[in-house]
Amino acid sequence: MAESRPAPVPVVESDDDVAPEQSARVITREMVIMLVVPPVLVAAVFGAFVWWRQTAELDSVEAQQLRWGVIRSLMWEHVQLTLVSAAIVVLVAVPLGIMLTRGRFRAAAPVVVGIANAGQAAPSVGLIVLLFLWLDGGFWTAIYALSLYGILPVLRNTIVGIQGVDPTLVEAGRGLGMTGAMTLFRIEVPLAIPVIMAGVRTSLVLIAGTASLACFIDAGGLGEILQTGISLFRFSLMVTGAVLIALLALLIEWLGRVLELATRPKGI
Amino acid sequence: MWDFIGERGDLIAFNALQHANLVLQAVLVATLVAVALAVLVNRFRVLDPIANTISAIGLTIPSFALVGLLLPLTMIGATTAFICVAFYATLPILRNAVVGFAQVDETLIESARGMGMSEASVLLRVRLPLAWPVIHAGVRTSVQMSMGIAAIAAYVLGPGLGGYIFTGLSQAGGVNAVNYALVGTVGIVIVAVIADLLMLLLGRVTISKGIRA
Repeated sequence: MAESRPAPVPVVESDDDVAPEQSARVITREMVIMLVVPPVLVAAVFGAFVWWRQTAELDSVEAQQLRWGVIRSLMWEHVQLTLVSAAIVVLVAVPLGIMLTRGRFRAAAPVVVGIANAGQAAPSVGLIVLLFLWLDGGFWTAIYALSLYGILPVLRNTIVGIQGVDPTLVEAGRGLGMTGAMTLFRIEVPLAIPVIMAGVRTSLVLIAGTASLACFIDAGGLGEILQTGISLFRFSLMVTGAVLIALLALLIEWLGRVLELATRPKGI
Repeated sequence: MWDFIGERGDLIAFNALQHANLVLQAVLVATLVAVALAVLVNRFRVLDPIANTISAIGLTIPSFALVGLLLPLTMIGATTAFICVAFYATLPILRNAVVGFAQVDETLIESARGMGMSEASVLLRVRLPLAWPVIHAGVRTSVQMSMGIAAIAAYVLGPGLGGYIFTGLSQAGGVNAVNYALVGTVGIVIVAVIADLLMLLLGRVTISKGIRA
């Protein structure tokens, strides 16, 4: 959220006793369940929502706020906010993480992760509002806030994933005459991909949840329906906004899981 | 900035305490609920995937959305904030408690029974102390997560420092907007850091000597 959260946050802490690299490298029963249950749940709840929307007696304010066109464009904004931020996170955090496992930068890794950890303790709303006061509102301000907020899981998992690669495999690569760059791209990165992708999924969830706060700074997203509902105190708008935010988050989490499976190298 | 804090010092300190208090109470309730549920899951292993799925799905739902779902039931105010924070706080503890109980060596349970311990004392004197380090890690995660969720819950007038962030937002362009937002954000970070240190201390005190790393 948790938004948030740290919304909400399915982040496995390093001292959590469940090592992230192990949980990411094998396909568990939980992963199978999480691939099947959320889409079914989302479809069922969305179906119920459509039925309610078509049959409910709405007054003019509600009908205005819940036009299908409005819902569609807000949802699209939400998706854009999430995907653009996630793309930026991957483009920044993966190369940075790789760099921090190389030679002379290695010593800096704990420092960078420490800073990122401390940043994660800052509440997402605070970060968004501060950036808004500094840069003014709009789509790109929200993107900056969301990208900053989503960077830690990918960064940490990239470092942990690459450090977790068996050094004898790298050694073997060097023995075959591979250069440093070749061992990196042909051995270390492919073996670390499941762990990195688990981080990407965590980031996606974090970003999708925090994107529901983008409405506070005029950057749109589904939070707008909920925000309007709270300020007009209309239950129908509140519940619609909340349900749509939750469904989209579940769908994006599911997308992350599918991506995780799809990018898994064949050997593992 | 310092003038701003100086003028409102008492109020800021009060709100910081309120923030810590909300998180503390919510996490306390969450710990009790999560451990009780985990005991149940440990008893009936079929529940295990269900608990994991609920925990994973719950953590995916953004806290702002839960606030919206709770409002029609609990109205604007501290109750909504409390339920919201407690809900999210339960999930990491539940997940860790299930793992923690599952990791307890069955032979130890056997020997405890062999010594004539009742089910209840096996739970309280063997299972719980052995699973506690893992549960404690979950509680620590929960505390950190709850700090940010409590900030979002301030949107519906929950107690704590989050209110300052929204004051800053609504006064955007005004002289004190940045001060308000900074006090709220940095204040929460400070409260979170202190809480984490206290949690570490709690771990020192409560993790049984025999299994301390």
